[in-house]
Parts: sequence; C-alpha cells; structure tokens
Amino acid sequence: MQLFKTPNIKFLKYKYIALAVTGVIVLAGILNITVFKGLKLGVDFGEGTLLRVMMRAPSSEGQLRDLLGSVGLGKSQVQRTGTTGREFQIRAIETVNVKAGEQDQLEAHAALADKIISALRGDDGKADLARGLVDLNSVDERTLAGLLETAFPGSGPEATQKVIAYRTDTGVIADFQDLAGLGLKPEALAFLKDKTFLGKLTVMSRETVGPQVGADLRRKAVQATIWALIGMLIYIALRFKLEYGVAAIFTLAQDVLITMSLYSFTNREINLPIIAGILTIVGFSINDTIVIFDRVRENQKTMRGKPLEEVMNISLNQCLARTIITSGTVFLTVSALYGFGGEVINDFAFLMLIGTIEGVYSTVYLSCPVVLFWQKLFKPKNARRR
Amino acid sequence: MKKNLQWKVILTLAVIAGAIILAYPFNDTKIKRGLDLKGGIHLVLQVITDDSINMETDQEISRLEELLKKNAVTFQKVTKEGLGRIAVQGVLANEEGKTRDMFDQYSRDWDYSFTGDRANLTLKPLVIQFLRDQSVSQAKETIDNRINTYGVAEPLIQRQGADKIVVELPGVDDPERVKDLIKVTAVLEWKLVKAGPAADEATLLQATNGLVPDDAEVLRGDPKRGQGGFYLVNKVAVVTGKDLRTIRRTQDEWNNPAVSFTLNADGGARFEQVTGANIGKQIAIILDKKVQSAPGIEDKIMRTQGGVIRGRFTPEEADDLVLILKAGALPAGIRYLEERMIGPALGADSVRQGLIAGLVAVLAVMTFMVIFYKLSGINAVIALLLNVLILFGALAYFKATLTLPGIAGIILAIGMAVDANVLVFERIKEEAALGKGVMSSISQGFSRAFTAIFDSNLTTIISAVFLFQFGTGPIRGYAVTLTISLVANLFTAVFVSHLLFDLTVKKTAKKLSI
Repeated sequence: MQLFKTPNIKFLKYKYIALAVTGVIVLAGILNITVFKGLKLGVDFGEGTLLRVMMRAPSSEGQLRDLLGSVGLGKSQVQRTGTTGREFQIRAIETVNVKAGEQDQLEAHAALADKIISALRGDDGKADLARGLVDLNSVDERTLAGLLETAFPGSGPEATQKVIAYRTDTGVIADFQDLAGLGLKPEALAFLKDKTFLGKLTVMSRETVGPQVGADLRRKAVQATIWALIGMLIYIALRFKLEYGVAAIFTLAQDVLITMSLYSFTNREINLPIIAGILTIVGFSINDTIVIFDRVRENQKTMRGKPLEEVMNISLNQCLARTIITSGTVFLTVSALYGFGGEVINDFAFLMLIGTIEGVYSTVYLSCPVVLFWQKLFKPKNARRR
Repeated sequence: MKKNLQWKVILTLAVIAGAIILAYPFNDTKIKRGLDLKGGIHLVLQVITDDSINMETDQEISRLEELLKKNAVTFQKVTKEGLGRIAVQGVLANEEGKTRDMFDQYSRDWDYSFTGDRANLTLKPLVIQFLRDQSVSQAKETIDNRINTYGVAEPLIQRQGADKIVVELPGVDDPERVKDLIKVTAVLEWKLVKAGPAADEATLLQATNGLVPDDAEVLRGDPKRGQGGFYLVNKVAVVTGKDLRTIRRTQDEWNNPAVSFTLNADGGARFEQVTGANIGKQIAIILDKKVQSAPGIEDKIMRTQGGVIRGRFTPEEADDLVLILKAGALPAGIRYLEERMIGPALGADSVRQGLIAGLVAVLAVMTFMVIFYKLSGINAVIALLLNVLILFGALAYFKATLTLPGIAGIILAIGMAVDANVLVFERIKEEAALGKGVMSSISQGFSRAFTAIFDSNLTTIISAVFLFQFGTGPIRGYAVTLTISLVANLFTAVFVSHLLFDLTVKKTAKKLSI
C-alpha cells in the first residue's frame, strides 16, 4: 500500500513562525513552573503520605472528605480512582514541623496515615475488635490460617488460601455471601461469620517517603536524566556533527519542558513512574530526530551544491510517509491504552498521546532549524561554499 | 537453500530455543515481578551509627577507670566529652609518664594528649570509620536473621550508601508487624529494682532526696505490657540477652502466652548468686530500656533452672519476642527513611492492567502492519513476537524484575521496533519506485535503512545505560526492559526480518507484497 507519492512541502519555510510559537509555549511553561503554579511533587519526592483504599460499599469523594473533615483532616486530597466507585486515593496534607528531625517527620507522616485510616473506619468494627473478632478485610494470611487451623485442623491453610485469593482478586470482601461460591465448607463459613467481621475498607497501598530519601530520589532522577542527555549528545556529535548533537539536546530539552509544563498546568503530580513516561517521550522524539538526520546525512553525499535547508526539506518529505505511519501506529496504540488501561496506565497514556505529536513537531521545527542556525553562526563560509 | 542462509536460520532457531528454555514456563519463578506488580513492603532504614561510637566510648570509660585503679594512678574522674571523646581529669604531673605508658599499651585505638592535669582521648578516625561500618553490617546481618526466622520468601536485604539498608519483602501482607520486628533493638536486661513502681519521678526519688544515685537509673514501664509508672533500677545488669542459652514460647500457669529462658553457665552462676542474695526484692526484666515486668524474687533461682518472662503478651507478641531474642540484638538503633506497602490486591490489579495494555498495544500494532504491508507485514509481526520472546528470556536470564515502568520501557521498544520495520519497508518501496528489481530493492532497502535504525536504537540504548547507572528503582526497571528490547530489536527487525524475505521471496518474483 502506498500512502502518497513523495510530496514537496516547504516545511522549513515556516521555521520562524514555528520557533516563535514554540518559544511562547515553553516560556509560558517555565513561568508557570517557576513563578506561578509550580510543580506538584508526588510522594516519591518526599512530600508526605499516599494512601490507596478500597471501600466495602461505594462511596463518594465528598463523603470521604466529610469523614476526614470531622477529625480535622479536611485538607487531605481525596481522589476517586477506577470505575467501581470504591477505590480512592488519599494524599495526606498537613503541617509537619519542618524543624523537627527527619525521623519525627516520617513518623508524623506515618501517624497521620493511621489517623486517616481510623477516621475512615469511624466507629465501624470498634465494637467487634473489642470483642476479639478479626477484621477479615485486613487480616494477614498467617493469622487467618492460624485461626482456621485451630478450628478445623488440617484444612486451615487451604481454606485461608481460598479466602485470601478471593480478597486479592476483588480487593475487598463486600459480604460473607460472596465467600459462599469459593467451595468453603459450610461450617468454615459459619465459623468465619462468627469469629470475624468485614471491615469497612482495605488499605491497598500506603507509601511514605521521608524528606531525606525524597531529596535523594529527586537528585538522582535529575542526575540520571542529565547524564543520559550528555551520553546522547556525545554519540550524535560523533556519528553526525557537533551541531546535530546540540540540536538533539535542544529538542529533548523542549520535550521535557513541555511535558513538565503540561503537568504543571493540569495539576498532575510528578512521581517516579512519570519520570519513566517523560523519558519514553524523549526516546520517541530522539528516534524521530535521528531518522531525519540520517536521511540528511545520506542526501548530503548525493546532493552536493544544494543548500542545507533544501536538503533538509527534501529529507523531511522523503521520510514523511514513514513519520506518519510510525507515529500514527504509536498514536493509535496509545489511544487504545488510554481507553482500556486503568488509572496507572491512563496517566502514562495521556503523557504519550501528547508526546507522540510533540516529538514529531520538535524534530521538524526545532532540530532542523537549530542545525541551520548553528551553521549560520559558526560556519558562514562553509555554508556558502555548499 | 543458499549456504549462507543456512547458518542464519540455525542462529535464529537457536536464539528462539534459548529464549524459550530460559523463560519457560513463563511464570513467577522465571519472570520476577517487582513489588508494584506483586505487592509487598519496601523499607529504607538508616543505622544510627553514632550509637556504636557512643557504646565504644562508654566501654572505654569503664575500662579506663578499672585500669587506672589497677595501675595505681591517681585521678579525679573520667568523663565523656562527646562522641568518641574522653577526658581523664586530675592526673598528677609526676604520674603523666606512667599514664602515657598505660594508654600506649592498652588504648591503642585512641589518640591522646595532655593539657595540664587533663588527659584528652579521642577515638582514631580510622577506628570510628571501622566501627560505623561494622555496626551497619552487623545490623544488616541481624535483620537478615530476623526476617529469615520470621519466614519470608525471597527477601532482599542490602546495604545502600554508608549507613542505609534497603529491605524488600515481596508478598508480605502484615507490614506493621514486620516493621516492629525489624526496628526493635532487642537489648534484654535483668536489673535489680531499688524503688518503684511509682506514678511519677518525684515520688520515686523521695527516698533518695530527689536525686538519682550514681549507680542507678530511672526507667519507665512498657505501657504495652500493662506496666505503667517509673522504676529506679541498678545501672549494672545482672544478666543480659547475651547470657541466654535457650529461649522459647511457653504458657504461664494461667495459660497466658509467655517466654521461657535458660542461661549459660556464666550468666546462670551470676543469676543464682544475685537472686540468692536479694530474696524479697524485685528484679526488672527490661527490653530496650522499657520495663516489661518486675517480679519479686521468692527464692534463689538455681543456675540451670532458668525462668519465665510474663507481660500480658498476645501470642504473636510472644512469638516475635522469641524470634528477635534468638536473632540477637541490633548493634545500633535504626530509623525508617522510607516505607512503602503495596497490598497484593493492588499488585494484581496493576498486572491485569499492564497485561491488557501490553496485549492491546501488540495486537493493534500487528493488525495495522498486516493490513498496511500485507505479506511483508507478517514478517514484521513475526519479528515483533520474537522480540517479546527474547525479552522474556533475557529477563529470566538476568533475574531482572518486571515493574510498571518496565512495561513503559517495553512499549517504547515496541514503538521503535515498528519504526524499524516501517523504515525498511518504506525504503524498499522507494527503491522499487526507482525501477530496481524485487531482490535488489529488498537488499538495498535493508542496507540503506540500517544506519538510521542502528543510530536511533544505539542512542536510546546509551541513554538507557546511563539511566540504569545513575537512576533508582523504577527508572532502573524502565532502563532494563528498554535496553534488552532494543538490542533484541536490532536482531529481529533487521537480521530476522531480512532472513524471512530471503527465505520467502522467489528470486524471479516480479512484484513484492508490500
């Protein structure tokens, strides 16, 4: 199948307009990050505690916020995730004494998480706990196995595995009736009903990073990115020419800045997995840039005498079919992820949707112009001779 | 078949077989899932290495006092001036030489200097470094012991930096218990009680005019054990955890969980002598400076007899106490810097999502390639499948873990694999458009597209290597899958795909299905 005959679009004619547009976007992003909204750092970078909980009964963000508000934790960010209306993500926000030592801070975070969990539980289960019953929605496998083994010697671990596997699969046990289909003995089910109760929620995850480790992770993430960029600069400069390496770095810097700005504008949190997302965008973008540069390198051998700008334009046109097919495929794939995947994947897919388009744009309207400008600046004679 | 094709086919089949053998049966035992996909606990803790220096300083002080007395050196007192710093005060001028000799002989780990009647001792920097390092490795060993006794499958416990220890426990679902288990210093001591329990310190010290005697210290009861109040106890312990010979879970006479112990010969003898001499008094059982219980001594306890520790334990608490006492005490305190607990349900959910995402991505790409490039598209599909297979084989071989960011790395690699195929196919079309024959278009297409594929893949591999070198956890997981997939990509999208063309396209073919 042929997409189209090699076209002859004068891409680089519009380079000044494009540069102006890019400049404005990047500048707005930088201003937004440095002066206005700033970047919202996630738990990974040492900013408190992140809890993910699953409620037994569907609830709403408002309800949860009210529960937290009643114990003075109303400032916590509550966000509903997933489609069941039961999963929530809670980011504890509080005023921790900055003068307090590292340990006090981490412990304050941990204590706060405890407070949130107990506020969400409310009075639910307190009476049952006092009577010595066990919460089936949070008990660990070992304890439950011990409990069942004493009552039904020989079959405890097996029954426990069934219950735990069911809980792992669904996240929370909503009703004892749900356990009936698991093939438990009727007396075992009756025993569970008698000796355990179903707590209001399950804590799916709980993450606290102290300020010291947070700063460390932040530093390492930045360091790793910078080294990766330097590595690429050196390789491209060796394989092509120095200006191509410089252009690639400019392009990547733009990719990173634009994505970061996007995060700042949409109020999304920056966490370690998001760094992986940003690196993926950078990866696609550099791939695109190198494919074009490679074609320019090849064409320069056969098109001696033509100015570089024209060679670049021809190369861009020759690669256009490939560019559209590749980024189109990736775009399609990522849209599918955006639709199908859950929240974790969703965040990543959102980033990629923007990234695939931005990557192509930055190749055409930043990589190529930077090479042109560099040659104009530093090699005026050289350029004329060509 | 051409001769040079034969070894290419053999090589390809060998790679396929190797990958399958390495990754079979494609489950948890071969492809390790990271904590984010499996659930578990990730802890970063810091060893308070100052503790070990402090301990060394305290020991040196009591050793010095003993030595000075033994050598008949006149001195006022030995004081602790700080971390690894001691002063001997009131040394007579005519005894300075003698004292110097003594330091030279017995305190080789310490630098010393004299100012007037004062001898200042400082712990040598090399010794300090050694002690700090040793306390971290000992702490790691102790934590290792505790975790192993508790029983966790495939725990990862390793040192990080100068004073940090990373603990990763996959599949553990009771984080609080494990955290407590790791953190307790577990210094167990038996000390004679001078006064107490009392509701507050003032009442406790009434008999001693509000002062704490030199040879005593004030300790609190452990509220968890139902021991409120304050105790005045002897500074010197009768026996400590180091004197234990055996220790096990038991029940007391009211069927409550308790812990029974016996002592070694040395400790047993001291215990027998002290209990015999102090009948009627209380002896406090102290864990990490908190009084667990303070039973009265009713009779002399014979050296082989041992005893029982009671303290309103739950069965789990009694089990854990036995466990930590068996594993030994930590040489220094520790504190948590990072705690992450991922429940198994969330991990299962992420796996489901990641799997769906991966399948959707691969299927979408494959469908598109076959529709757009027809028979040649099938080449690309085979190359892509082979790439994923090699990835799993390599993950199994390197014992690398698969994480969510790792899946992101795979998606980038899939995108670049598609790009490699597209580059080649579009180039073949271009060559054909120039009027070249089918076979020549194919070989020209591959060789012309190769530099672009090679450079873009290698650039990304270089960046991934740097990310792996300098990055942490999730970023490393991303770098690993990306690097492997891209290396595999150079093999599958270029070598294997070319081979497939050579094998399937007839030399006399006039037209290529592309």
